Amino acid sequence: MYKLIDKIFDTVIKLLTLFSLLILVFIIIFIFKESIVFFKEVSILKFITGRKWNPLKSPTDLSILNIILGTLYVSFVAIIIALPIGVGTGLLLSIYTNGKWKVITRGIIDILAGIPSVVYGFIGLLVIVKFFEAVLDFPTGESVLAGGILLSVMILPYIISTCSETMDNIYKENLFSSEALGTSKIYMARKIVLPESKKGIIAAVILALGRAMGETMAVMMVMGNTPISPKLLKRAQTIPSLIALEMGMAEVGSLHYHALFASGLVLMIMLLIINIIFYYIKKGIHVR
Amino acid sequence: MLENIKELLFKIWIILSGATVLFLTLFIFGYIIKHGFRSINIEFIFGNPKGIPLGAEGGVLPAIAGSLFLTIIACIFASVLAISTSIYIVYYCKSKRIENIIHTIIQCMAGIPSIVLGLFGYTLLVVNLKLERSLLAAGITLGIMIFPFIQVRIEKAFREASSTIIQSSYALGVSNSYTFLKLILHICKFEIVSAITLAGGFAMGAAAPIILTGAVIFAPIPKSLLSPVMALPFHLYILIGEGISLEKAYATALILISLLLIINMVSMVLIFRKRRSTE
Repeated sequence: MYKLIDKIFDTVIKLLTLFSLLILVFIIIFIFKESIVFFKEVSILKFITGRKWNPLKSPTDLSILNIILGTLYVSFVAIIIALPIGVGTGLLLSIYTNGKWKVITRGIIDILAGIPSVVYGFIGLLVIVKFFEAVLDFPTGESVLAGGILLSVMILPYIISTCSETMDNIYKENLFSSEALGTSKIYMARKIVLPESKKGIIAAVILALGRAMGETMAVMMVMGNTPISPKLLKRAQTIPSLIALEMGMAEVGSLHYHALFASGLVLMIMLLIINIIFYYIKKGIHVR
Repeated sequence: MLENIKELLFKIWIILSGATVLFLTLFIFGYIIKHGFRSINIEFIFGNPKGIPLGAEGGVLPAIAGSLFLTIIACIFASVLAISTSIYIVYYCKSKRIENIIHTIIQCMAGIPSIVLGLFGYTLLVVNLKLERSLLAAGITLGIMIFPFIQVRIEKAFREASSTIIQSSYALGVSNSYTFLKLILHICKFEIVSAITLAGGFAMGAAAPIILTGAVIFAPIPKSLLSPVMALPFHLYILIGEGISLEKAYATALILISLLLIINMVSMVLIFRKRRSTE
């Protein structure tokens, strides 16, 4: 009797595991299958190097270089803003908090990471965009810069938690010798923890880059969504917002529909590469 | 002298960064609470959207209900898969190589942007399996999104669970299934529930995957798994995107944030209780 239950249990566990791993395969196959229809009509090279996106004019006038550049541009702006703040906070947390406070600050950062992107977009629209238009008198507040600032707030929690994880370990490893030598905490943070956690910081940047590039709603609400060549103070568009905005309009099976899948595929491939790099860097840190 | 200045600058830098993060957190919550509090009332929470355009008057009950249902479906779907995958990796998998492959796959899944998951849900569930835009399709899409998140945390909990109890259980000849269901799940129950609630919060706030797979501008409280739903994040997006009502948008954002805060509190309390019980 127990043997039978055990056997069933084993099989169920194995089947469910297999199923959850197959989901990734399915995702790749389905996105690929829908994109390949498009690539039969328009060459891949033209798709990613052309600058025109005009689904209404001619069906083959679909290429996304501007949109790819927009995605990368806004993500880099976000990282440049968020990195110093994130690393600083990471240091502060790993050196000056312990025990109960560590759990509480972790919780606060988790909450910050858990704020939905729509809410971020909402605040961005009412605060950042309005500020640009009303106070700084820009012709348009919806811009790459607005998107970058908003995204930098959104990726901060990821940078902080990845950095402070590495810094915690380095701090603990060196605490004993440092105390024996009588150095101050702040000296230790500056001379040991910061330089030693270089790899952790790189991992944090890569993770944050992935998050920023895949972000949809918030960016969509503050960037104006115009597929032109991106400039810091002008409108631009990112791949996720392109998909979210146009999927509803595209007729199932039309070339426009398949082109959106193709841009999804491009985005997915970029992010898969980024994530695999992140995974190996992080693994390298733990081995050390 | 130079060292001193450098040290001072360093100190200023890290304190300023910490202060910025604290300020941002307070600002975001303060902003939503301050503006949302004015237009929130019983009628808003328990009423249906009314007015022209729809949403300009009335409440958001169907959206609250829709969001809760979506979260529950996503959590069930994701946690069943996540728990079994974690059990497999920790207790069944003998080869280090297979374990690495599984980890890489899960890492890749975590990296897929939510909008691409939405595309996948749309082509597979909505178009090919003919589920239409529905609670089920959107729930499963959200489930796929939070699966890696739950799996990583549960696997960590399993690994930290004391192996002596488990080994004694094997030594006594207790069966596999009994060990898992009665011992391991019991030992790790706080972590498991905490991981699932936290992930539920992510699912509740996500708009990108459900835009394509199930969320609609107006629907009554869903009666079956196959009916379309309203969801708070999507409702919020429509209220601002279409410029329907700023006041209602603030109130919707406040409700969404409060639900998420409650979920996060639950998760934090669970972790605290676990720490206390082990100390």
